[in-house]
Order: sequence, then structure tokens, then C-alpha cells
Amino acid sequence: RNKAFSMRWFGFGFNAFGQICVHEKSVKVAGRDVANEVKVNSPTELSGRSGCCSQISQIKACWSRRASLHLIGESKTTSQSNCASRGQTLLLFDTNKRRLQYHTLNSCIILLSLIGDRPLLNLPLVPGGYIATKPPLYRPLAPDLKAKSLALGAEHAILLCATGAVYTWGLGSHGQLGHGGLTSEEEPKAVEALWGMPMSCVATGGWHSVCISDGGDLYVWGWNESGQLGLPSRGLRKAAQQQKPQEGEKQEEVFISIQAFPALLDVTPSCEISTVSCGSRHTAAVTTTGDLYTWGWGEYGQLGHHTLISSDEPQRVEYFRKQQMRVVDVVCGTWNTFAAVVKEEVACS
Amino acid sequence: MATLWSKLSAVLPGNEEEFPLQFSDTVESSVVDVLKRSRQQLYGDATTTSRAVNAQIILDFSWEKLNTGTWRHVDKEWRRVYSYGCLFKVAALCREGPSEDEILQAVRTCDMGLLMGAAIMDNILQIIVGILQSEIRKSSEEGDETEHALIKRMKIESPHAPVIKEELAVPRIKCPSLESFNTNYLLPLKPVILEGIIDHWPALNEHPWSIEYLRAVAGCRTVPVEVGSRYTDEEWSQTLLTVNDFIDRYILNKGGVKGLGYLAQHQLFDQIPELKEDIRLPDYCCLGEEDEDDITVNAWFGPGGTVSPLHQDPQQNFLAQVVGSKYIRLYSPEDTDKLYPHQSQLLHNTSQVEVENPDTERFPEFAKAPYLECMLQPGDVLFIPVRHWHYVRSLELSFSVSFWWS
Repeated sequence: RNKAFSMRWFGFGFNAFGQICVHEKSVKVAGRDVANEVKVNSPTELSGRSGCCSQISQIKACWSRRASLHLIGESKTTSQSNCASRGQTLLLFDTNKRRLQYHTLNSCIILLSLIGDRPLLNLPLVPGGYIATKPPLYRPLAPDLKAKSLALGAEHAILLCATGAVYTWGLGSHGQLGHGGLTSEEEPKAVEALWGMPMSCVATGGWHSVCISDGGDLYVWGWNESGQLGLPSRGLRKAAQQQKPQEGEKQEEVFISIQAFPALLDVTPSCEISTVSCGSRHTAAVTTTGDLYTWGWGEYGQLGHHTLISSDEPQRVEYFRKQQMRVVDVVCGTWNTFAAVVKEEVACS
Repeated sequence: MATLWSKLSAVLPGNEEEFPLQFSDTVESSVVDVLKRSRQQLYGDATTTSRAVNAQIILDFSWEKLNTGTWRHVDKEWRRVYSYGCLFKVAALCREGPSEDEILQAVRTCDMGLLMGAAIMDNILQIIVGILQSEIRKSSEEGDETEHALIKRMKIESPHAPVIKEELAVPRIKCPSLESFNTNYLLPLKPVILEGIIDHWPALNEHPWSIEYLRAVAGCRTVPVEVGSRYTDEEWSQTLLTVNDFIDRYILNKGGVKGLGYLAQHQLFDQIPELKEDIRLPDYCCLGEEDEDDITVNAWFGPGGTVSPLHQDPQQNFLAQVVGSKYIRLYSPEDTDKLYPHQSQLLHNTSQVEVENPDTERFPEFAKAPYLECMLQPGDVLFIPVRHWHYVRSLELSFSVSFWWS
């Protein structure tokens, strides 16, 4: 019942602002491995900043910040990581689960009130934070679509309807809309290729989109520059070849740079996908069996494979398996990844 | 002898306080924070890794911004941030006795900043790349003997040259006065080949442009290259290569690379001032209304067989031929309805017709369109009036310079 209380959060990837862990401010030691401080390449448990009794139940992250929602007894508060910046994401909860979300999209700001119609007062502010006196833009977004959730990329949006249909709009230059072309859409447009297959979850990276069907299948489309779609990426193969040139066999491989229609991605043949999240150029998916798979850009350690290598194939994060931990949730920041785990025994009971 | 780093520090501001980091609100404070960390490392103690990591964060972040939205909508501030990232990366690479490979990497980094970034600190990347280049030239001063033979062979193998029908030939005129050019060609918008107006260019005299010369002046510089037969093709793409790699792969065909490569429509002369010294603005450009600084000078360098499909440009054009020859066909804008421009926004200035092999069933009107043609030879300058449709095919190794003016 109290699953959240036994949940632990781990992070890996970009850590230049201490979003994952804060290294001891040691006296300047020459030769200190700074790369390891900025790039956390294997899962590291997030320490409870506000004391051991607090449990993190939700996480949101942008490039330079992480926001964690802590549970302290019955009341909920929001705490921010120590870095103050006017970031792209600000997410706040109140006890009635009234949710207010800010995002920048294509340089204009969409203020979206998913539940509840009045703006919240008494917002906790981060140092340097501020409240705009009036929302920059407010308009009801396609009310007839009965939105269940919305995800925003660098320049596009994906919306999941109550019916399970998926709509996208915004810039389409990298195929991120999934309509088969590279043209932009000003209004939400149904992703026709997914028609008739109800979806349960949508997510976006900077220039790619993913969604999970009711049956647990994962669909991907958009830009595959760093292998973020899990499809063969020319850029990655080229880089790999330069490191260890392979002789002979020059078979013509098919590379995907832009995938303009949704493609079914076989993350693992044996099980279904339960949840998914995207960083700007990487993707992380949790299976119903409790495994975490990651792929895409890995140069900041955001894939958690103990390396800084990008991958255009989904790979399991072995750390959790070794620790007998079951991954139950995943949230990506721009260049990092946060995973919620429970111990195997707890999950079974 | 002064070390490379001491030469570089001499062109950097003397201390942290004098090193400017001013950005508009577009650049969020967390990014400025990383920029400041890099600046501090530039003047203070830090490991090479730490310097490189911070510079890379700046490059990665601004790279994502440069790829957000269409290129012309990207805020110039992000292009400036990108240039700062390049500057810090170069500093990290050259700080402690760099290897030859690291210096080459630094040159590439400067070029990325010059190509994708915006000028910072009085265009410091341009100054730094000059210093780096002189460092490289010191260490490699011998040429490749076999290349002469290769180039000679290529000239023989040049693709077939069409015979120019006399009645369709673009008229030729030797050094006309400004007045006569204005009255007879510019005002009535009539194409003409001007002869003898670039004979004084160093590119045709003191520094005759050749493969060897380009290698010496620009070999290690990174330039954009179009790969594929025509820019209207499905498989056409753009890539970044050093001039040396471009010459090896696409001019000398070393390593059996398939396909055509074309260093096309690139403002090479802004990137490499040394080459700019070899050319001059044609005097006739002064007949335009715009300032001289607004004239766009592009380089077109490639092997025989490169094709620019039939298209039109929104400005007057002087196309100066420096090396090799090109077959060119011109159609008047009055005949646009017979040329079947593409429907899409992006290609609406380009005809769908393959000029030298037209599909007469799909484009029946095309054969009725009158045209002029010519073989542009070294020393020739073709005046292509504004909006005049032109088709260009190189017949051999070719280097042309275009001047777009209004």
C-alpha cells in the first residue's frame, strides 16, 4: 500500500549543478577527477536533503535543476536542488493534486492548468525565482480532445487524449510530429499511423517522441542523431568505427537519421514497457518486469552503463539487476536520468 | 622561441576582469554560470580535463539551441555562446604543449565557431586560427609530388563538353566602360561575359590557384561540402570536411569514395582572409545601390561533373571563373512558366527540369523556352542578371567565385 515509502531514487548523467550528488567541497586537489563530478556514469542514490524521514515521491528535472516532491508525514512540500536559475521547467503540487505546469515551447510560454482553474497562491520560491504577475499566454488547448497528458519537446508538443489517441503539433523539421513529413503543424493533428491503437503514455525528447500502447509496445519517431530512437544511427557508427576501424565487410547498412512515422521499437522481446521518459537526446524505458533500458546520447553518463558512450540500441542498466532492485519509474532531465526503485522483496509482497 | 600558448595568451584579454561575458536574458543564468567557470579556469588553476569538460558543456548546450527552430530564427546570442565554447575548447587544447593533432583539432574547433557561431571579442577566433595555422605550416612544408600527375590525368578525363551553338552564345565583351555596361547590359538585364576584368587578380597571377596552393593556404580548414549530384536529389546532403580531406576524397578520388562532392556557395573568403587577398570586387558592382560590405562573395570549388540545377537568385550575380571551365545555360525570367519551378516553398526558385536531359512528356513547354549558353573559361566573368534562371555544370576541376550584389 505504502509503496512510495519504500521507494528509493537513483540518478545518473549530467551533474554540473549537483543535481544528482554534491561532491565534498574538498580543498583544491590537483588532478582531482572533475569529469566524474560533472558526469555521473552509473546510478547514484539521491540523498534526502531535508532529512532521512523524507521520501521523494516525484521528480522533475531540467538542464540545471532537479525538483523533488518530498513526502513528510501527511503534508507535501516541494524542494529544489541548490542551484537557482530561471530554468525552463517549474512544477508545483498542492495537496489536492492541483497541478500547474510551465514550459517554454518555441520561445513562447504555454501555461497549462491540467486540473483546477485558479492559479495557486503561496508558491514556494527558489532563490532568484519569481512569479510572473500574469500568465504570458493562456488559452484552453483543444478542450474537445479531453487531454490526459501533454509532453513538450524543444519545439513540438505531443498530447494524449482520454481515448488513447495521440495528437502532435509544432515544428516538424526532424520528423518529430510523426505525420510522415517534415512540415510544421499549428494545430493539434492526430498521428494517423497510431489510429486504432490506444496509447497509455507519451513522452518527448528535444526532437523525438515516444509513446506506449495499452499492450505495452513502444513506438518512436523523430530525430535519431544520437541513436535516441534506438534505431541504427550513422553518426554513432561512424564515431565507433574511427575508434576501432573494422576490416573487410562493408555491407550497406540502413541508417535512420529521421524517422517521420512512428516505428515499433523492440526494446526487449520478452516483456512489455510500463513507462518511458526522454532527455533531450536519450530515452529511458521501464519494463513490467522492473528493468530499466536506456539508449541515445550517453556522453554525460545519462545511459547509466558505467561508460560515456552513446548507444543506438536499448541496453539494460545492469546496476539495478545486480543490486536486486526493481525499477518502477523513470524521469529524464535534459542530459540525465532519474530512476525510482524498490527492493525485489518489497515488490513481491 | 615563444610557445604557442604564449602567442595565444597575448591575444586574449590580460585578466579575468577584462574578459567580457555579456549576454541578453535569452541566455539563462545557469549557462552564464558555466561560461564564468570556464573564464575562471582560463586565468586560474585547473586540470586540462576540467577545462575541456566545461568547454564541452557550453558547446553541447548551445549546439542544441542552434538546432532548435529554423537556422535564421536562432537567437544570435546562442551563436555567440557557441563561439565562446569554441574559444574555451581551443584554450584547453593548446594550454600545455599541444601535439600536432591537438593543434589541428583546435583549428577545426575555430572553424566550427566561425561557421556556426557569431563573432565574439573582435572576432578573436579568426585571429587565433591564424596563429594556429602558422604553427602548422612550420611543421609541414613539403608537397606531394604524385599529385601533379593525378591532376593532369583528371584534366584529360574531363566529361564531354557540349558544342555551343553560335546563335545562342552569350555575347562577350572586353573591359567595357561602366557607362556602356550599365546602358547595354545592367539596365536592360541582359547576360554578358566580361573578358579581361579579372586578369589582375593574384588568383590568376602571383598565387595561381591550384590544388597545392589551396592545400597550403587552407588545407587544415573545415568547410561545408555538398555531397550528391544535385541539391534537388533525395540522397543529397551537406557535410563538414577539411579542405585537405575534400581534395583527397572528391577531387583526387583517393580511397574510392563514390559520389560527387562540391564546396559550393560558401563564404570561404570571410573564413580565410588570405584567399580574399587573391581576388577583387569587380568595379561594376559600384553600379548597385547597396554598400560594398553587403556584397556576398561565395566560393564554388569542385571536380568536373558538379551540377547546379536550373535556378534563379534574388540578386545580380558576377560569376568569375578562376580555374577550369563550366557549361552554363541561361533562361529569362519572362519564360518562368515554361520552366516548371518546384511547388514546395523551399525549392520554388528551382526548376524541376533536367536541362540537358529534359523529360519532354512531363515538361512539354520546356523545349519552347529560348535560352543562351556559354562555356565559361578562366578569366571570364559572366553577368547573370537578377532572377535570370541559370544551369551550371563543371566540365573539369573548377574554381569559381560569385558576387551577389544589388
